[in-house]
Amino acid sequence: MRAFNAELSKLFSLPGIWLAFLIGACAPAIIAALDSMAEKDDILAGVSTRLSEVGLIGLGAGVQGIIILGVLAVSSEYLTESSESGGGNQITTSLTAVSSRLQFLLAKAGAVAVISILLFVVAIVTTMSATKLILGEYAPVFEASKLVGVGCYWTFTALLAFGMTVLTKNGIIPLAVLIINSSVVTISYLLTKVTKLAFYLPDRAGMDMFMSDGYHTPITGGFIMFAWVTVLFIVAAIVFHRRDVAS
Amino acid sequence: MLPYNESHNRKGVLWLLTINNLVKQRGNHEILSGISFKARPGRVTGFLGPNGAGKSSTLRILLGLDRATSGSALIDGKPFAELQNPLSTVGAALDGFGAHRMRTGRAHLRWIARAAGLPRSRVEEVLEIVGLTDAAGKRVGTYSLGMGRRLGMAAALLGDPEILILDEPVNGLDPEGIRWIRTFLRERAASGKTVLLSSHLMGELAETVDDVVIINRGKVVANGTLEEVIGSHSTLEEAFFALTTEHAGAVV
Repeated sequence: MRAFNAELSKLFSLPGIWLAFLIGACAPAIIAALDSMAEKDDILAGVSTRLSEVGLIGLGAGVQGIIILGVLAVSSEYLTESSESGGGNQITTSLTAVSSRLQFLLAKAGAVAVISILLFVVAIVTTMSATKLILGEYAPVFEASKLVGVGCYWTFTALLAFGMTVLTKNGIIPLAVLIINSSVVTISYLLTKVTKLAFYLPDRAGMDMFMSDGYHTPITGGFIMFAWVTVLFIVAAIVFHRRDVAS
Repeated sequence: MLPYNESHNRKGVLWLLTINNLVKQRGNHEILSGISFKARPGRVTGFLGPNGAGKSSTLRILLGLDRATSGSALIDGKPFAELQNPLSTVGAALDGFGAHRMRTGRAHLRWIARAAGLPRSRVEEVLEIVGLTDAAGKRVGTYSLGMGRRLGMAAALLGDPEILILDEPVNGLDPEGIRWIRTFLRERAASGKTVLLSSHLMGELAETVDDVVIINRGKVVANGTLEEVIGSHSTLEEAFFALTTEHAGAVV
């Protein structure tokens, strides 16, 4: 519990994390607002087929903030500086403050998961306000099951970003891969056009937790993404346990 | 013979650091080739050697940061990973600040205090001890090397540990800072605590240490009390150069 408190304290005192909070809390509302405006005419005419997805898409996009959270939580430990400015390398302090590496990793993953859930709650509020503002009485009411789906998607994505960064020790690769995949080109989506196996990739399967007409049922999709998170965490924990901090 | 009974300190607890036949290989290169020594309570042990001799590697293994290829490094008879309250057992200040540049000095110490279950007031106490109270609200990235060393010392002292392990503690300190650290370490040892510090600077250390371990190229070349190691040489510095250059590898 102490280690967990320390990790929360670390995250909240890191300025870069506020960027993650800003994106996580605001991006879903902005995207939902734009989407609502685009669909407004169809919705008012009662011909929109996407009414239930307005807002959910925005919430899906908010994962970018969560990706930054998961990556920064780890990469900030390994940030190194020139020797004149002290070398950074907070990881040495972290690992002399908590003797068990597994405990350290669990505490950090726990802090990331808790913050992503809190951020998700904030995002629901901002997104619902945005759709209400634009669509008024036509604003969709989110189904609880879908909200749980998106919440899991956020948390699992944060933990995937976390696990990847433990392996790379550097935030650039996981940030580039995950942000590009969740915004510019959805590589996993393109892959689904080539092979059905791509539906078992974590982000594809995870999206089935809240998108309608998915390849998997929401429960199966959730299990598949959770399996990815678990496997990645175990691999990251083994590598982290064996690794020399100096290397 | 050492004047101190090594088995127990005043509290009857063994706050001993025991390094036993430590070997560390990285790739094909052997960094440590069978290092053995002890650091005893109530004494300041100086761990000396030229740059690259293996001092930092030894300290990192002792703190569980790096893994030994073989041999053991024990704190109070246990490896670091088995310590229940690491911060109140052993405080360490390694090379570098060990802090993220965007956090303030105070925020850095606060998260460490949380990890050890210590109150916030303790953070202010250690800031006061190391003389960093005025700079505590500034980001670590703006600190000078000397301030960063003081921050590292503050972190090491948070848990008021029985053992202090300091890697090159006088590096980057101004003369006033060096004098402060000497006095401070003498006081720690006088109150029965164990202090192990590494350095490549001899002059600063001769007045501070009780016991000396000199390593060169991954091997211990001298180990004993300050008087024993100086031996027939005029100063510790003379002894150091004699041991690490002319007769490199010869054990005293």
